[in-house]
Amino acid sequence: MPLEKELALFESKKDELLKVHPGKFALMHEEEFVGAFDTAENAYEAGVLKFGKSPFLVKKISQEPEVYRNQALALGLMNARI
Amino acid sequence: MPVFDFFHWDKGRGYTLAETGAILQVTIGIPPALEQLCLRDSIPIPSPVSGYALIDTGASASAVHEQIFIDFGVQPIDHIAMSTPHTRDKFSFVYPAKIQFPGLNLSGDAMWPWMRVVGCELKWTTFDNKEIIMLVGRDVLKWFLMVYNGVHSDVTLTY
Repeated sequence: MPLEKELALFESKKDELLKVHPGKFALMHEEEFVGAFDTAENAYEAGVLKFGKSPFLVKKISQEPEVYRNQALALGLMNARI
Repeated sequence: MPVFDFFHWDKGRGYTLAETGAILQVTIGIPPALEQLCLRDSIPIPSPVSGYALIDTGASASAVHEQIFIDFGVQPIDHIAMSTPHTRDKFSFVYPAKIQFPGLNLSGDAMWPWMRVVGCELKWTTFDNKEIIMLVGRDVLKWFLMVYNGVHSDVTLTY
């Protein structure tokens, strides 16, 4: 699965990141934490410059994970790839 | 305050808003940073995909038909949990995209040259062959005042 290593790295560093960079966006590639950025766009630009088209993670540093809520999904009007 | 009006009407059926929902044209392309990379490396830039977006006040964030990103060769940048009564402990990918709404000529260019969207299997076609490829969620709608005029089959957006 894409981003598996990066997501594991994020979880392992989450507490530390929350102390130092709350609310920012972490840029991670494989087992490397590249840095924290004010916006997701800035993190993405840095990721493209450094890693090109390779997968990398841009994730908001927050205590509560982001959740996508959609009633259409509940009603079966659309499906998400899982 | 710019006002944008979207009248939903069909020559054969008359008012269509109740049938199609509130839809507006959308163009989805790769993010600017990736365009620059393609230019630098002399790689062809994938052509943007045009279709329609359905305004979905029930969605917390905007979503795009995932196959578009797969065809573009754009990698996901995050995972997001899906929360509905029927989907628990499931995730979907988050993609970066350049989103333009031709009917919302907000700055002469794009209001969202860079946006995070959820990748979903959502493509379908309305009765009049308008292909829905995006759900516009509350992450976009938070910038607008929207009037849904069911009586006159009309949606107005202003910001």
